Amino acid sequence: MATQNRRDFLKTATFLSASALSIPTTHAKASEPEALNENRMGVLVDTTVCIGCRNCEAACKEAHNLPMETSFNINNRDIFKLKRRPDETSLTVVNEYPNPKNKLLPTDVKVQCMHCDHPACVSACIVGAFTKHKNGAVTWDGSKCIGCRYCMVACPFQIPAFEYNKAIQPRIMKCDFCFERQSENKLPACVEICPTEALTFGKRKDLLEIARDRIKRRPERYINYIYGEHEVGGTSWLYLAGQKFSNLDFPVLGTEPAPGVTESIQHGIFAYFIPPIALYALLGGVMWINRRKNSEEEK
Amino acid sequence: MEFSMKPAQLKIKYLTPGVAVLILLAFNGFVFLALRFLYGLGYVTNLDLQHPWGIWIAIDVASGVALAAGGFTSAALGHIIYKEDYKIILRPALLTAMLGYTFVAFAVFIDLGRYYYIWHPLIYWNGTSPLFEVGMCVMIYATVLYIEFLPVVAERFIGKVNFKGIFSFLNKPVDSLLRTLNRGLRKTMFIFIIAGVVLSTLHQSSLGTLMVIAGEKMHPLWQTPILPLLFLLSAIAVGFPMVIFESLIAARSFKLKPEMEVLSGLGRMVGPLLGIYLAFKIGDMAIRGTYVYLTEVNTQSVMFMIEVIVGVIIPLRMFFSEKVLRSKLWLFVASTLVIIGVLLNRINDFLVAYSPPYAFQSYFPSIGEISVTIGFISVLVLLYRAFVMIFPVISLPDKKLITQAKYAVRGGAK
Amino acid sequence: MRALVYSILIVLISLLVSSAQIKKDHSGQNITCETCHVCRVPTKDDPCLRACPRLLMIKQFPSPETGPDVVVMDDLTDRYMPGVFPHKLHAQMSEMTGGCIACHHYNTLGPILNCKECHSIKRKREDITKPDLKGAYHQQCLNCHRQWSHKTECVSCHEKKNGNTGLSVAQLISRFKNKSHPEVNKPDVIVYDTNYDKGKLVTFYHKEHSTLFGLKCIDCHNNENCIRCHDLQKKNKEQISGFDLPVKVQVSKEERHLKCFGCHANNKCSFCHSNEKMKPFDHKLRTGWALNRFHKKLSCIKCHGNKKSFTKLNSNCNNCHSGWTPETFNHKITGLVLDDNHSDIDCEECHLNRDFGNKPVCDNCHDDKNWPENKPGRMVE
Repeated sequence: MATQNRRDFLKTATFLSASALSIPTTHAKASEPEALNENRMGVLVDTTVCIGCRNCEAACKEAHNLPMETSFNINNRDIFKLKRRPDETSLTVVNEYPNPKNKLLPTDVKVQCMHCDHPACVSACIVGAFTKHKNGAVTWDGSKCIGCRYCMVACPFQIPAFEYNKAIQPRIMKCDFCFERQSENKLPACVEICPTEALTFGKRKDLLEIARDRIKRRPERYINYIYGEHEVGGTSWLYLAGQKFSNLDFPVLGTEPAPGVTESIQHGIFAYFIPPIALYALLGGVMWINRRKNSEEEK
Repeated sequence: MEFSMKPAQLKIKYLTPGVAVLILLAFNGFVFLALRFLYGLGYVTNLDLQHPWGIWIAIDVASGVALAAGGFTSAALGHIIYKEDYKIILRPALLTAMLGYTFVAFAVFIDLGRYYYIWHPLIYWNGTSPLFEVGMCVMIYATVLYIEFLPVVAERFIGKVNFKGIFSFLNKPVDSLLRTLNRGLRKTMFIFIIAGVVLSTLHQSSLGTLMVIAGEKMHPLWQTPILPLLFLLSAIAVGFPMVIFESLIAARSFKLKPEMEVLSGLGRMVGPLLGIYLAFKIGDMAIRGTYVYLTEVNTQSVMFMIEVIVGVIIPLRMFFSEKVLRSKLWLFVASTLVIIGVLLNRINDFLVAYSPPYAFQSYFPSIGEISVTIGFISVLVLLYRAFVMIFPVISLPDKKLITQAKYAVRGGAK
Repeated sequence: MRALVYSILIVLISLLVSSAQIKKDHSGQNITCETCHVCRVPTKDDPCLRACPRLLMIKQFPSPETGPDVVVMDDLTDRYMPGVFPHKLHAQMSEMTGGCIACHHYNTLGPILNCKECHSIKRKREDITKPDLKGAYHQQCLNCHRQWSHKTECVSCHEKKNGNTGLSVAQLISRFKNKSHPEVNKPDVIVYDTNYDKGKLVTFYHKEHSTLFGLKCIDCHNNENCIRCHDLQKKNKEQISGFDLPVKVQVSKEERHLKCFGCHANNKCSFCHSNEKMKPFDHKLRTGWALNRFHKKLSCIKCHGNKKSFTKLNSNCNNCHSGWTPETFNHKITGLVLDDNHSDIDCEECHLNRDFGNKPVCDNCHDDKNWPENKPGRMVE
């Protein structure tokens, strides 16, 4: 019985390790991040120029065929008493904050997906339903999504929204940087409508220069900080402000990409499947030795 | 051991008052479950845009996986380290793990917004996602557990396949199929056993990796790059207490005499395992300097203290006491504390530590969520009871054997 | 429609005419070519002007009254009717808010440039360093307008293209034509309530500063906010109408002092701060030399020259009135007509050492007479 066992053990173990080694090639490929396009687009949001007219909210709803409730009225400035967040029916919202420099010119901040350069959602999604595109946009693919909502856990800006009240085909709703409009060579809907051009659409690298130039020319107007330049490894949407970003409810984030630690842990555990296979071999060895010892004792 | 022990079917009455209560609870859970499928997650749960995961993930999935760790720790002990004395715990632990993982899978299924796409990870791979790894490992491990349980089914039915009426012609083919499977498995079972242990270490740890990506949204008391290691260590530490806990409850419920010698032996191993877990947890805290957060009094710091003191330090001391190891009651209490500790750790990690930046209100599970979770646990217990009556799982002393199995395969697989 | 076209034409022509009045010889100015041009050889078609140097530019602007009354902005009329902009009114208001450069931030000494010379009509464009025309317009207008109107609705400024119910463009043009900003209500005196414990009150004689000391509005009010006067929500306008009660100082100490330190940098605190309301400026009290009826009519700089520092002058009349000789001088101008006895004697008989600032003496001739009890003639007005 024992000898039989040992022979089977060796035979099958050889087969198993051979088949296990063939897996890593495909697996490793899937995890390799695509290089960032140098000419990826972005939007520079100048909160000192934004007037809080909320035309972007309406344009966004129209461009994405989202419901406009009868209560939705962009001219209702009372709504600024609330601090709102993008949700499943509004992919972008504008919030208003007091301006310490001039109380008559409150600071208005448009909130939407930041379109990270190293998006946590893309890294985290179990089925890879998110894609970081060449033009900078991070989009969601409804044909893959299983609705696990891990993207919402992962997102450092708490942006993806989920249609909790749908029993069938609930969607993850977030700003898609008007991916379709951009492919038709149109501007994102919010950028197109903005009356004051508080939203400047352009190549991210150009926008950074423009932002630095604005700060240099008007040091009394801006704080010397571009939000999104380095946050979680950089974002496609960049912000300028006249007061501290933490006062405007921007999260204080490090410069490391959000998925960095997780991915290095994953790569550590799955370094070409070597650690699991090594563990498998080790356990097999222990099992084999223990069984032999046992059968010898029986003899 | 006085008697040689053999797994056997239990001859007991299924329906008792306790069982009736469990059936009611299960039914209650199913009502809310039906509402969830009819009207969507938002109708039943308290989840919102800030709190995407609730107790269905923290308790049903994360804690479920951790508490089913008895399966792989006992397999490692019984099959790989090859301690013959512990063979009697293998089948109950295997059954718990099998049922546990089935329910984890089912909990994931109901929590998914698009549950009907649960198979998508099989074709759409994302190697950077720890969730993908957890999903794949859990899926494969559940299959491995079923394969490991097959010999028990074979033992029960070989030579006894007896379909009535028009299906009687199936009797012969099913019987020979079972025999072939059983023969094949006897030679290859070790592959599955080792695979089971490897898969468990992988996904137990990756379950910890899940929350690492939440970054700043996690309270620093829990957010650490060694979260996967802590999850693995705590899963290993809770494995035996879970077996002890089940054995003692089963013994009481089925009116059997618990095998205290085996259980004390298991208990003796818990102390060092818990000690390693605690050492890493405290060491990590010291290195990252997060103990400063314990000076402020809030939900997080209080929950952390309860988790560590009640769930780790007190049972750690207890498991090193000979008096506790020999006493049925104290052993039960100590095991329960470890289980509570791990349960709390998972809840803390997934819910308490998770502080979304723009939350308007904090999350507390709805009646629907609690009902479904309790319903699941009830069904789990009911199924366990049914399984031990149908299959030879729990070992009884030889002289008490009522039904003699034809194939006396000891301890599940050999 | 025809009226509209004509009116736009009129406006454009008037704009051209007014701008043509400005000298075009900026090449002769004392600036280098690089101040404005990027390339070495700028041409009319490709002037290669620097992008928006704003305040660094050398500028020259006509007065508000010589600019156009109304400007019609009709480059972006896809959604709304053309905007009718009362240019003169705004130009007049801008005199207290930064002047023409608040809007015309980029102009050489040549003609006033049209905004769209630099600001693209298209939003999707190559050069995104400066806002497009729509953005530029709105950034200019709304920066003030939303401060006092507290509104950002499009229709609060624009007439919708379809279903236009308001005034037509022609009506709006005629409404603003020849319209000037009303005279700004100027206070005589303002009392500021400060935190300074050794002298809480600062009495500011506004009228003295503007008329007597020769300061122009823009010298102090160089960045005044529109809502000082225009605030639709402001109910009590005490700041404009009544200045009798002490006004609580809102701005910081540094900011407040900055305005005064231009002239008062070397004064002691007590020069302005007191616990009581101060009296108006009195030349006699401050300097010991009373101003007579002629001197009173003069502004300070007539005698003191530099308006920033009024230094002490010699009180001898000859110090200023150097042209006077006994032959050309008519004593009546001092308010005293000399009688026949005194009209022919030498000046030095009464004004010792020709010191006209001091009291005249009588004891050269009279033992029992004294100035001012006894007068050598009769007083006149």
